[in-house]
Amino acid sequence: MLTLLKDLRRLRRQLDLPAPDHARSLAVRHVDAGSCNGCEHELTLASGPHYDLARFGFAVVASPRHADVLLVTGTVTTRMHAPLLAAYNAMPEPRRVVAFGDCALGCGVLGLASELAGPVEDVLPVDLRVPGCPPTPAAIAAALVELVG
Amino acid sequence: MSRSPLNDYRTRIAAALEGGSRFGGLHASGGTVRTALVAPSGAIQFESAPVVDGRVTSIVDLAPAANWDEREAFDSYGVRFDGHEPLRPLVDHDLDLVSWTVPVRGPDAYQVAVGPIHAGVIESGHFRFHVVGDLILHLDARLFYKHRGLERAAEGHTLAEGLAYAGRACAACAVTNTVAYAQACEQVLALHPTAEVARARTILLELERLWNHLNDIAAVCAGVGLAAGNMRFAALTERARQLNAQLTGHRFLFGSVEVGGNRVAFDATAARAELAEIRAESESAWRELLFNASFSDRLPDIGVVSLEDAVTFGAVGPAARASGLAEDARATSNLLAYDGFTAIVPHRAAGDVQARLEQHALEVQQTFDLLASLLDAPVVAASCEPAGNGRAIGAARVESPRGATLCIVESTNGRVDRVRLRTGSYANWPVVAHAAAGCLLPDFPLINKSFELCYACADR
Repeated sequence: MLTLLKDLRRLRRQLDLPAPDHARSLAVRHVDAGSCNGCEHELTLASGPHYDLARFGFAVVASPRHADVLLVTGTVTTRMHAPLLAAYNAMPEPRRVVAFGDCALGCGVLGLASELAGPVEDVLPVDLRVPGCPPTPAAIAAALVELVG
Repeated sequence: MSRSPLNDYRTRIAAALEGGSRFGGLHASGGTVRTALVAPSGAIQFESAPVVDGRVTSIVDLAPAANWDEREAFDSYGVRFDGHEPLRPLVDHDLDLVSWTVPVRGPDAYQVAVGPIHAGVIESGHFRFHVVGDLILHLDARLFYKHRGLERAAEGHTLAEGLAYAGRACAACAVTNTVAYAQACEQVLALHPTAEVARARTILLELERLWNHLNDIAAVCAGVGLAAGNMRFAALTERARQLNAQLTGHRFLFGSVEVGGNRVAFDATAARAELAEIRAESESAWRELLFNASFSDRLPDIGVVSLEDAVTFGAVGPAARASGLAEDARATSNLLAYDGFTAIVPHRAAGDVQARLEQHALEVQQTFDLLASLLDAPVVAASCEPAGNGRAIGAARVESPRGATLCIVESTNGRVDRVRLRTGSYANWPVVAHAAAGCLLPDFPLINKSFELCYACADR
């Protein structure tokens, strides 16, 4: 445990992120609309000890009803179209949509046209675009810290 | 008197299975159904049957592991399988609940629906638990929410272009899927990987396996709710991915594999030093887990897969080995640099969550050993060499972090006619559903984490 805490202190010194501001927070709901799992793996590590997005006031919440931000990964498949809309419609206002990763932005998408509903902006109004294949945890941290203003 | 070709198909498959081969995969392709059988030597043999009036005889009674393959062949290619009743939809979602779930009836039996959107940062997929109280009687898993039609979309492209489709199937197994695709293409093109190409690919495969093992141990800690263990292994996963970026320019090693050779080049000295540090740190973190009684008490005797069930359901990878099935595609990969590799099983091969966790800890040591010996010289760009005659069908089996992945490429005139990617996750998902039965509903997240399968590379 002590080693872990020492590690954390060392890791955070290496990162160039602004100091946490506890005055603000955002509750984030993630929806995988058809990703390759890369965005999920990087998002998981963004909450890990190196970046620890929780200290900037970000929390991944279990229900869209508790969320301020809908973070969508992957290009939207025909099968995830309805669940994605259901999650969005369950969110209270004001709400923001983040199109996360190149597939969500419609860049370089591979697949059959008949299986894909399109990039996120064809389905929902997008407020923030985070490019990358997948976006690195450092890029995620930088983008979300900007969103919280 | 000649026997009918359909009966021959079944007879030959039964004989191969009798002779020690294992079912490797089944797919429909242009009026034919092909079954891949894997001999103990690793050799892949195909048995084919023509589709007559949209029908082929089922082999699901001979090889229960063909269950998903036959259902997929019907949903995506319209082939009916005589003797596979009921042929429940798998890829197809346009049907009502009764058609795709197993009927479970009795006093107080009810259903709990979970997903496709889960509570954490998790891929999309739907689970329908049939329960009495907290006890799971049966689990129907409906995946393919992330089905992007990658196999079909690759058709008509050149073999080199098709690589991107295999890579996009899944980030966690991107190297495995592209190496299997590249090897299959090289059989078509009459190319043989040189020792340098084989070594570079083996290093990339083990770098992919390394972060996955660390991630999977973190996942089990998360499944128990042990934040300290989860965070410690998450930090190690991050370091392993940073190392990948340093060596190849990408944290998931995307774009590092190509058909016909290897163009990744790096000096191995820095990697060796960093790997030694990650190793020492992971050993210390693992020891800490062993001494955490409330953690280790949570693991035994749940999500049990017996050795017999692992064989019957066609389990592969660390999950199968945790049940005592000492099979590993690395031991028979003559196109990679795994000379002298033998599969290992845990001391207590009980097939439960504890055994699967212990298997990760054992195998991550194997991976560190392999990387230490493979990284004894710089990795250099190299090309495959011409060898023998080309073939119309190439097939390669590569061990992914989740288990053996089979890639089949059918080609004419240098273009993809059909590609089939049957990943370790695809093979193991039915095993997860089986392991959940008889357990408590709140145990399912932990059982699921102990397999840590990808949805993306099952759905494609």
